[in-house]
Amino acid sequence: MGTTATRIYRFDASGCNGCDVEVLEISPLVPLAELGVEIVGTPEEANVLLVTGGANLKSRRELERAYAVIAEPSLVVAVGSCAATMGIFKGGYAMTGPIDAIIPVDLYVMGCPPRPQVIMNALADTLHLTVEGIETLLHTPQGFRGDPHVDQGKCIGCGACANVCPAAAIEIVESEATRLVRFMRKDCIFCATCRDVCPSKAVELHSGDKPWFRRKDASTSEARLERRTCVACGTPFLPDAQLNWAMSRVDEKLELGAGDRGKLQRSLNICMKCRRNSISEVREAKSILASLARKASG
Amino acid sequence: MVWNQPDAKVIVYDPQLCTGCRYCEVACAVWHCGRIDVNKSRIRILFDEKSATERYSAVNCQHCDDPICCAVCPSEALQKDERTGWVTSNSSKCVGCEMCIVACPLAVPFFDAELKVAVKCDFCDGAPECVKHCSSGALRVCAREEAVRFNERLFLGAKEAQ
Repeated sequence: MGTTATRIYRFDASGCNGCDVEVLEISPLVPLAELGVEIVGTPEEANVLLVTGGANLKSRRELERAYAVIAEPSLVVAVGSCAATMGIFKGGYAMTGPIDAIIPVDLYVMGCPPRPQVIMNALADTLHLTVEGIETLLHTPQGFRGDPHVDQGKCIGCGACANVCPAAAIEIVESEATRLVRFMRKDCIFCATCRDVCPSKAVELHSGDKPWFRRKDASTSEARLERRTCVACGTPFLPDAQLNWAMSRVDEKLELGAGDRGKLQRSLNICMKCRRNSISEVREAKSILASLARKASG
Repeated sequence: MVWNQPDAKVIVYDPQLCTGCRYCEVACAVWHCGRIDVNKSRIRILFDEKSATERYSAVNCQHCDDPICCAVCPSEALQKDERTGWVTSNSSKCVGCEMCIVACPLAVPFFDAELKVAVKCDFCDGAPECVKHCSSGALRVCAREEAVRFNERLFLGAKEAQ
């Protein structure tokens, strides 16, 4: 058994090996000996268990065994998105669950994969390891993508972010009066697709955040929006902000007469269902379009 | 920007001729999705048996001169073709914000939950299936000029059309 205070054993539960490569990269980057850290080859020697990938049928038993023999007090670290949520392997026939479904996890380090600096930073932060110049060594470059934050004031609640998110980290929850756009930290892979597609530029990825946490449901960023009630059927449909955004965009791009604009504004108060199912609403809508067509054709 | 293409072709729907067979919906779904599922149809026929004056109606794209859907699209997925005048949606560019569905007074585009994008009538590359399969002739392709006059008569009334 080693004599260093922190002895890390890496266990590959079943991932793409991306995280494992990042873990390998730690030792050339960081003066491990000075920090009192050692990377060991067997779980018996270790007191820190770094687990990458979600557990599958084969790795599950080995994972349980490694956890059983690890020295106490131990620290179990789930490294990467797969370890926390099974990531892209979610739903795979051989998958038996994220790591915390098999053994208790103390720390989650997020990323797909997380940078070696981030993994080391998370360990140093949790175990209070320090050495001179460590901040410079492990610092996050300016503009590096971190947790997404949605601006409640700018978000229009259209749900484009949730539609494009490859990690399904964004959920739209609709209640009677409001629509909630929720960013789930545990699922995010920091790809920034949500930021890129957001029509109102409401999403920003903060590079300053620490992408690790102890509780899986820890912090989420969310926006809550009031839904507009359909004037025809009286049920709430889309967020007010989204409908107002559409109108402001129309004003910006098209030159509508006051009459047509008023009619269009009214049509925004009618839900899609009524617009598509009621003959009188269809007549109303077609009259707006016919009037616009007449103006265009002169 | 105002488009003025008197020769451009559009689809017009005449409720007087429609029999409500909804064969256009089936033809549209088969052409676009390869299966008989009217929920995937880009055209929609409405039928109200109680109404004495207006029994049939259709939710179909008017391929507007200055489309509202294109104006609100944040990703330039919806474009009006300069040559043909058709308003089409590019699925690879669409981000699924549903803004076009919101803004169109008719709510012509709809959200395809499988593709996670908004889809709409694309004129079937020039030979619309709905028109091909309309046995009563309620749907037909005609010049924009004529369609504008037809719709004016139908929806704005003779008085207002003057």
